[in-house]
Amino acid sequence: MAGQYLPTAVVGSYSMPAWLERAKNDFLRRRITAHDLDEMHDAAVKAAIKDQEVAGLDVVSDGELRRDNMIDYFATRLPGVEIDRGSKASYYDFYDSVVRNRMPMAPLGLVEHFRFLRRFTDRRTKVSITGPHSLVKRIRNQYYPTEEAFAVEIARIMNLELRELVRAGAEQIQIDEPYYSGFPEDLPWGVRAINALVDGVDARVSLHVCYGNRYGKPSWEGSYRYLFPAILEARIHQITLEFARRGSEDLRLFKEFDAPFTLGLGVVDVKTHDVETPAIVAERIREALAILPVDRLSVNPDCGLLHLPREVAFPKLGAMVEGAQLVRRELQG
Amino acid sequence: MRRTSRDRLVEDLAGAVASVGAAASVGATARDAGDKVIVDDWAPLGESSIWQFNRLFWQRLADWERQAGRGFEAALPSGRSDANDPAAVADAVADFWTLLVELDKRGQLPAEIFALEIGVGSGTRAGLWLDRFKAIDEARATGFYSRLRFLLADYSLPTLDRAMSAVAAHQGVVSMIATDALNPLRALSFLRYKILYVHLTNVYDNLPVDELVRRDGRLYLVETRAYLPQPLAAAVAAAYGVGTDQLRPTIARLLETGPDLFGDRERGVAFWRAVWDGLCLEERLRYLEGTADVPLPPGLHGDDLDELLATAPADIRFHISRGAVESFVNTVPLLHPRGYLQVQDIFVATMDEYRQGFRGPGKLDGSVVNWVNGALLRAVGARTGYDVHFAPFRYRPGSRTSILYTTLRE
Repeated sequence: MAGQYLPTAVVGSYSMPAWLERAKNDFLRRRITAHDLDEMHDAAVKAAIKDQEVAGLDVVSDGELRRDNMIDYFATRLPGVEIDRGSKASYYDFYDSVVRNRMPMAPLGLVEHFRFLRRFTDRRTKVSITGPHSLVKRIRNQYYPTEEAFAVEIARIMNLELRELVRAGAEQIQIDEPYYSGFPEDLPWGVRAINALVDGVDARVSLHVCYGNRYGKPSWEGSYRYLFPAILEARIHQITLEFARRGSEDLRLFKEFDAPFTLGLGVVDVKTHDVETPAIVAERIREALAILPVDRLSVNPDCGLLHLPREVAFPKLGAMVEGAQLVRRELQG
Repeated sequence: MRRTSRDRLVEDLAGAVASVGAAASVGATARDAGDKVIVDDWAPLGESSIWQFNRLFWQRLADWERQAGRGFEAALPSGRSDANDPAAVADAVADFWTLLVELDKRGQLPAEIFALEIGVGSGTRAGLWLDRFKAIDEARATGFYSRLRFLLADYSLPTLDRAMSAVAAHQGVVSMIATDALNPLRALSFLRYKILYVHLTNVYDNLPVDELVRRDGRLYLVETRAYLPQPLAAAVAAAYGVGTDQLRPTIARLLETGPDLFGDRERGVAFWRAVWDGLCLEERLRYLEGTADVPLPPGLHGDDLDELLATAPADIRFHISRGAVESFVNTVPLLHPRGYLQVQDIFVATMDEYRQGFRGPGKLDGSVVNWVNGALLRAVGARTGYDVHFAPFRYRPGSRTSILYTTLRE
């Protein structure tokens, strides 16, 4: 029984190879074609899937390697968002994007990439998307009266895409909302936008909230206390938080509040190249088990592995899996 | 530091012309070393023994100054350090204050306010900064001063001790830490993402650099070796009772163990000063197949160098400021998510500025001073999530100092 507990997964992104970064920049400067870049993306995604499988993860993603960054992948797909294609010098920069009129409904094209992921793994899969609050903070709004109205509109459009993903077989969907931590005062409407986003979506939904990972460094600091109690209203199955870098102090919030969702426990620090040992990972899991029952915990890195070189990211995942196995064995007695 | 005679120049040029088409070494033709005493071996500039001399100077500053009869700041072109300009310091405090108030307003100001100065000099700037900070805090009753943790960092303990006495009035909020400017993270990793303000003045210009040359589309790495001209070497050897053939090992011992080498420190310091005074660099150019062969410091990517060269003048000689890059990438991880880095130094802000002439290295008293490639730092900053800007130092007319400051790259 215990073997089914403590499922391991990435948060979403996997190590971005330097050669792929160069290719993305070359594409941005029109030195290579979209076809060439697509082929490289396919190859990189296959390698990322394989690495996750070899590391022993229970749930794998496509490593988000097709994305320039967490915003532009969606901003360029959302109908009605105007993009200034000349506004960035590096692929990782954000485009200058703006909404000037009511956004129409249209598919985003995420299903195709999900199907690619499905074709190359038999493991359980996870698709992660950037949440409406974070998108609203980066896409300029010149139409909607409030940020909330803008966010709910984005949620309405993306909701259709999530339903399409479920129809295509997606079982786990993660929503990334790192900007909550920079704008805690937005949380009440941020949660309403999440609920609009997942309305009628028949999948296991997790919400990832961190303190940012732009350029591999935090964008804010603080305590997760700001999430409570507003976050309890979110219609999600799991919340995924970072604890490895920040320490376990905020775990007590799960003692203080009776959360209706499970916890994706961050046990690997993605902002250092120091590779955790399985023993450290196991200890972090045990700390959480002192507060939450085992069937309410999943195991993951603090955030995406995008900024770590593969020679660091891969052993970190291996240590995470091994640490989870250590605890599973203890639980089996 | 690099000298040549008319005859030598003619000879070198002849050698260079003769070597066209080969993997040429220009400037150091197979010249008999009989007119000089070689002090180290051919190596990229960043590995030259001049950096050991530089390190020795800062580690044994008091010994040097005692014999020189003046403080090191007196050797600066203006006779004093721009670091200690009261108006500049006041503006620096005001900028920091703005950040603190903003964070406080949002409830995001940490309980402990960490600030770090690397390369503390005499401690005068830190003292001025702290005086100003305390005065504003008292005037506005914000209570920030008591939360301040001001760290003085330097690789020289004697320098730190001297600086600590200059900030004695603030000893409750000041700590000192011995750390190498090349890697502050090593000693301060416990403060990763916690420091709100990091300042350096005239540190980057004092860290090892390499030089690259592009001529007619070909790329070269500058290699140097240090030497003493023969007459001077003979005079030094005679004055200190060392055989000329023993000069090189004696200098090596000086650089390893310091000026106590004759059992008489004053005599050792005098020897050190005489050697440094006469020390010259000769150079040659090593052909590189392309930028992939350039020895890059950690944090600088080949792509960045390619991009810089793509927009640089066709024929150019420029710095790979390896020490500055290393220091930068090992400092910014200490910054709080809203923190910033400020560096006062002599920067070449764009590659185009290298058209304008020779950019060092040079001797400044017992130390090495060199211009810093700001364009390179801008590229490195972008990769680490910071935009790097340069503002002229407007507090002293004619100053060649600039102020580098970082802003968050969103």
